[in-house]
Amino acid sequence: MRRFDGTQLISRIAGNAAIVSNLGPSSDELWHSGLRDRNFYTYGNMGLCSSIALGMAMATDEQVISLDGDGSMLMNLGTIASIGREKPKNLTVVVWDNEKWGQTGGQTSHTGMGTDLEQVAKSCGITRTKTVTDLEDLEAAVSEAMKTDGPNFIVAKIEESGYMPVAPVEPEFTLYRFRNTFVEPRQPGS
Amino acid sequence: MNWAETIVKALKDWDTSLITYVPDISIHQVTSLIDEDPFFRLVPATREEEAIGIAVGSYAAGRNAAVFMQSSGFGNSVNALASLCIPARTPIPMFINLRGGPGEFNIAQVPMGQAVRPIMDQLGLVHFTLNDDTNMDKILDGAMKLCYANRQPMAVCLTQLLHGGKLA
Repeated sequence: MRRFDGTQLISRIAGNAAIVSNLGPSSDELWHSGLRDRNFYTYGNMGLCSSIALGMAMATDEQVISLDGDGSMLMNLGTIASIGREKPKNLTVVVWDNEKWGQTGGQTSHTGMGTDLEQVAKSCGITRTKTVTDLEDLEAAVSEAMKTDGPNFIVAKIEESGYMPVAPVEPEFTLYRFRNTFVEPRQPGS
Repeated sequence: MNWAETIVKALKDWDTSLITYVPDISIHQVTSLIDEDPFFRLVPATREEEAIGIAVGSYAAGRNAAVFMQSSGFGNSVNALASLCIPARTPIPMFINLRGGPGEFNIAQVPMGQAVRPIMDQLGLVHFTLNDDTNMDKILDGAMKLCYANRQPMAVCLTQLLHGGKLA
């Protein structure tokens, strides 16, 4: 499974859900999957994608999807424990797991050496977990997650296969546009 | 109203209702009040940069959020401030127990405690230091107003002179 195909699929079936994407290719590919006001692209803060999504899920009753990566998730395993502790019903974490740090030379990550992020999630008290390897199973898992109380934790095994062009994303505008789907836009001088 | 109650009032006055934190014995005087108050949702984080991420997500989805931490944990959160909060312009009030000053007993707390405000200065972020509760309500009200007007993180550093600190 290619991450871009999976990203396009999730973007298509996400409805009005908020989608937060991990830095680098995950954000580029979400941008190239079609602009949505409820896409929150990140370009720094490695490791915090699912923490941001957790905060969103505790601020709204609407569905929130995190598109994280194995390298980033490994940097902040603690947030899986926080998700397991808070148990937001409206949060779905998808980890694109290529078992490597794809952007830094393709070094094998810990998930390529035996670390099983689905088992980590289970041990943190997240009961709705799944590992998928193809688009059909990914679609079934995400569709089910959208309809069922979470939190949901889906490990999507992917093969790295080239990168999309870097998206011309501006963080301040991304946040402003995203937030304005939840609150009244700020007025000049307010 | 004591110093901890004054902080709680400022958070309410500025509709800041999601509080994420890493526990600290001194700021426990505030977070214990928050925990008992249904206005707030108190969310423990495993690490301070995670707390920043949770707060940013909450703000992005329309709920103002603040972070409580100790100065040692501020060191864990610097890249989250630099690469997330500042580029995206997110107003996150941070309440920091500033260790490493007068009365500190632990040598390991001094370097990071002394570095918090210079790092904030280097990042171009505003901070205030409270050594006592004189005019604390006005200072906090102004600090919160500035934070949301500037749409950048802001720190209120709470020293041992204010809260009594941790005894050796």
